Amino acid sequence: MSDLCWTSMTDLAQMVAARKVSPVEIVQAHLSRIAALDGQIKSYITVTGEAALASAKTAEAAVQSGAELGPLHGVPMGLKDLYCTKGVKTTGGSKILADWMPDEDATVVTRLAAAGAISLGKLNMHEFAYGPEGLNPHYGTPWNPWDAKVHRICGGSSSGSGASVAAGICPGALGSDTGGSIRLPSALCGLTGIKPTYGRVSRAGVLPLAWSMDHVGPMCRSAADCALMLGAMAGYDPRDPTTSVLPVPDYAAALTGQVKGLRIGLLRAFFLDSAGSPQRAAVEAAAKALEGQGATVEAVDLAMVRVAPAASHAVLAPEAYAYHEEWLKTRAAEYGADVRERLRVGAFVTGAEYLKGQRLRSLLKTEVDAALAKLDVLMAPSTAIDAVPVGQTEVRIGSETVPVRASLIRFTRPFNLTGHPAASVPCGFTADGLPMGMQLIGRPFDEATVLRVADAYQRITDWHTRRPPLAA
Amino acid sequence: MRYSPGMEKLTVDSLRMLAKAQGLELTDAELASLLPLVEAGRSGLAALRDIPPHVEPSSQFRQL
Repeated sequence: MSDLCWTSMTDLAQMVAARKVSPVEIVQAHLSRIAALDGQIKSYITVTGEAALASAKTAEAAVQSGAELGPLHGVPMGLKDLYCTKGVKTTGGSKILADWMPDEDATVVTRLAAAGAISLGKLNMHEFAYGPEGLNPHYGTPWNPWDAKVHRICGGSSSGSGASVAAGICPGALGSDTGGSIRLPSALCGLTGIKPTYGRVSRAGVLPLAWSMDHVGPMCRSAADCALMLGAMAGYDPRDPTTSVLPVPDYAAALTGQVKGLRIGLLRAFFLDSAGSPQRAAVEAAAKALEGQGATVEAVDLAMVRVAPAASHAVLAPEAYAYHEEWLKTRAAEYGADVRERLRVGAFVTGAEYLKGQRLRSLLKTEVDAALAKLDVLMAPSTAIDAVPVGQTEVRIGSETVPVRASLIRFTRPFNLTGHPAASVPCGFTADGLPMGMQLIGRPFDEATVLRVADAYQRITDWHTRRPPLAA
Repeated sequence: MRYSPGMEKLTVDSLRMLAKAQGLELTDAELASLLPLVEAGRSGLAALRDIPPHVEPSSQFRQL
């Protein structure tokens, strides 16, 4: 298999600009790899090979003509199949939208194309993004490349994005995150992914799960690549009134490799204290590593975080139900059983309960803001567990048996409620060789510091450079 | 499970009535499967009673 498939987006863009490699070669290498591996991994729902090659030829001609090139010129990527793509099926991972062809692109799709990125296709996902395991009864559940023998979950809902980037099938992908759906597959697949601040990236043309909790962001093999993608996507969009008019900083320029003097808050109660012992040890070791680079680390407790499960339920369930109400009444049989049931629960949340959830959300956001007034970033495990086999619903943590679903989203969803930027960064492997991730949470619109810490950590560790057995 | 004062425990029959009122026709098996999920969400929220009165919801309409 070509080394081009393991080259970072940052390096690919530089190689294309320096005429060291053609975009056509890069796209062909990735399409070959899709053909070789994706029958088992099932990371794509639709591969747009012909269109990708045509775009690559156009990109190659632009290089030859000496035209001004965008920051991702000639670099392939994948799109979670809830991003609207003009004339290309956008299924949301569902049977209901199996043949839907949008008549316009999502804003981020337009922006990434304008930056020169080339879409390889539409990536598999948990149906309508409503599940943290990344299961899919309609298109097959993606296979986590970190176990060649056992079919393990990738984490969801952006499971195809996680599997494809981990397997070298595409160098970077778009995910979306309503309760952890960028950070969970990033953690379980050994990737770096960032959920930006709510309002940093446009949601226009993205199928919603819950409007007030949905976030759009990149999943890549390094913080540097996330910085590159995020810079091309972020910024005000008149099509999404919740986007901010704040200017977009140069995220790549923020990656100085320096953390000296930064103050890191290590979230112990609720987070580290309820994680599995490998996850706890890995995050504590990462904190020490950053301390060794000159950061200061102190323990922090967020008392209000305990309301997150109830508040999240009160907000997410009725918002999701409101979007799906008509289909639930007319096409219920076409949903997968788990998503249909989860959606129906939202019908029974009252208006008063929804607003109670929104009020609890205000309290939690205030508390996180207060903690970040004294600290630069917060740090926690991304998940309490590693990638379990598909179909497993419970897991042991210490002496307790806990549901897999709740264990996956426990540490991530508080920051969907608060809207703070949060990244998942590889921080080690379990004894079984499965990846683990740590979360870095920053101040609103300070993705630059989150990425700076992630990148500095990746300059002194090699967790993010390892390759999974299925993709070797 | 903890409930707010005056809250009654839901049953399959009461859930059926609530569903019908919203135009959802669900089978007994579907209602039985939904019941614990609806109960869990309801009791989880009911247990959170101490929100200071000045706290407004985080979603507010703004004239920009």
